[in-house]
Amino acid sequence: MRKKPTAFPVGLYGMLLFALCWLVLPTIFAPLERILVGGVCVVVRGVASLAGTPAEAASSDNAAESQLRQSLAARVHARALPDPAAAWITGLEPVHCAVVDVGKRLGGGGAPCELLLDHTYAELAGCRQLVTKGGALVGWLQRPGSGAAADDTSTDFARVVLPNHPLAPAMHAEATLAVGDPLRLVVRAALTADPAPLRVVLWDDPWRAARLEQAGAPVRTTVGATGGVVPAGLLLGATRIWGYPGVAGQAPLTLGVYVTPAVVPRALSHVVLWRAANSGAFGLDDVPARAVARYPGVLQELPGASHGRHLLITAANVVSGAAVVQRDQLLGVVRPLAFGSALMTSFAASRQPWNLLLLSDDEAQGPIEVQAVVVAADANQVHVRVVASVEAAAEALQLPQRTAGTLFTGSNGIHCPAGLQIGRYVVDPDDGAAIFVTVPVLSGSQTVEVLAAEGGS
Amino acid sequence: MKRWVLWFLLAPQTWLLGGVWRDAGLPPFEVGVLACLHLAFFAERAAVPWLLLGMAIGRCLVDEATLPLHLLVLGIPVAVLLPLRTLFFGQRLVWQVLAALLCAIAIPRLSALLGQMFDQPSSAELLEPAVVAWSAVLAPLLLLLLRRLPPWAAFEEVR
Repeated sequence: MRKKPTAFPVGLYGMLLFALCWLVLPTIFAPLERILVGGVCVVVRGVASLAGTPAEAASSDNAAESQLRQSLAARVHARALPDPAAAWITGLEPVHCAVVDVGKRLGGGGAPCELLLDHTYAELAGCRQLVTKGGALVGWLQRPGSGAAADDTSTDFARVVLPNHPLAPAMHAEATLAVGDPLRLVVRAALTADPAPLRVVLWDDPWRAARLEQAGAPVRTTVGATGGVVPAGLLLGATRIWGYPGVAGQAPLTLGVYVTPAVVPRALSHVVLWRAANSGAFGLDDVPARAVARYPGVLQELPGASHGRHLLITAANVVSGAAVVQRDQLLGVVRPLAFGSALMTSFAASRQPWNLLLLSDDEAQGPIEVQAVVVAADANQVHVRVVASVEAAAEALQLPQRTAGTLFTGSNGIHCPAGLQIGRYVVDPDDGAAIFVTVPVLSGSQTVEVLAAEGGS
Repeated sequence: MKRWVLWFLLAPQTWLLGGVWRDAGLPPFEVGVLACLHLAFFAERAAVPWLLLGMAIGRCLVDEATLPLHLLVLGIPVAVLLPLRTLFFGQRLVWQVLAALLCAIAIPRLSALLGQMFDQPSSAELLEPAVVAWSAVLAPLLLLLLRRLPPWAAFEEVR
């Protein structure tokens, strides 16, 4: 055995340390990665150019596709609106907005506490602060230059503060119990370490509150909350009791009562803002969905394509996370490289969380907004596990059994908008929180389009 | 210089060849094991960090995680095994099989752990027993062949 003088690999450890710095400051080193990986792809591109003429998208029933998209839009909008009989909507008209990002900041219960919408503050200038989803309160639209939006300008995407944000106002509410009169209470954002996003801080009857045994009582806003910003009757969530259960005939010991919000923010794709009806400030069509540009490209199959990775060749400056579509069928999302190429990860191969819309074939059912991850893929069959739906967190999640329909993208960032068709789905008969999706199989070269939202970044 | 150009152009394609191998119905194995074994036991010691960079770039072609994450996933097993080169100089096949087995388990585990830590989930997180077993058997044998081919041969440590 011969010993080398340099057993300690300093250079290698230096490279690992550099990688750690790279992970911590990704934007600084992103151009370097584009050049390095793009350079290697030049070889692949050269080989792929021998593959022949790219195939066009197969023709399909335009009328049926168009009808399906219209049905999706109509059902999404209907689902997002509250009961038309609700008194507070009198004199107001809805403005539908897509959610493009859930802020990184954590609020009460360690949950996200901010949303970014697909419209700027300037575009939403006439809207009220109230943001809703169905009959539930989502949060408050901010004004640029103040509060949580202190660093924002009017041309930035509008920020919505959720009720568990430290700057969110306390709310007057009432919990409807199974027995007896409702309990009136004051709710505000919990601490990050608390077990739920909202905490009850005051009761009208602390004696009854201390003896609550059953959780899950619905909590709704009441009149007088937050100086009129929040109307009465909006669903805030359900109670969650923190304490010790009663044993051997003894009364339970309640340490605190929390409220689990009715809306799970990370699964949200659409919310509704409100403005005065016929206010004259702008018409209904003045806040359309953000325009999306489409750039042509050619998708080349990488050898060993079972990985679900493809080389995209395009003259456009594509943005990371932009959707690649063929007609309005989602194929995947891209990561840009140098030298006019990009790498696309197909939906089946991606392990990122996706916001999705499940549109059942049963027209009576509204679309279900969920966040899900692909857990396995075999040829064109993809097994997708739902981790949260807008109405329910993972532990309570159960999709309607024996249902089938069409799967669409939810809002996955500004460059991967909602409403792109992914494939047909059926609910997994053995797991109510999972679906099987049939997606198209890509082979050979294909002509595709890359999306890029106009005015987005 | 020529050997470096060849390395950065050809070595990353090993990952794509690994996919072709699997698509052809041959026993599946983890290409990362091949890379780790070569870097830890056979490659020129001073060149290891840059050879690692080439292999990590190749992994970017088949996995959606970013380049620095691949550097860590491949680099950590190499960093553990490289100091052992002084002990296991000569590289009997049995040591290579054992090291390959450890790498085949470590790579998916590291992908999962680092992916979760840096919010970069990876498709290589799944630990498949068949892949582990075939990697342990095939990686040392394939490496025997690769080390005789350019650009791998150009970085063989001279003893």
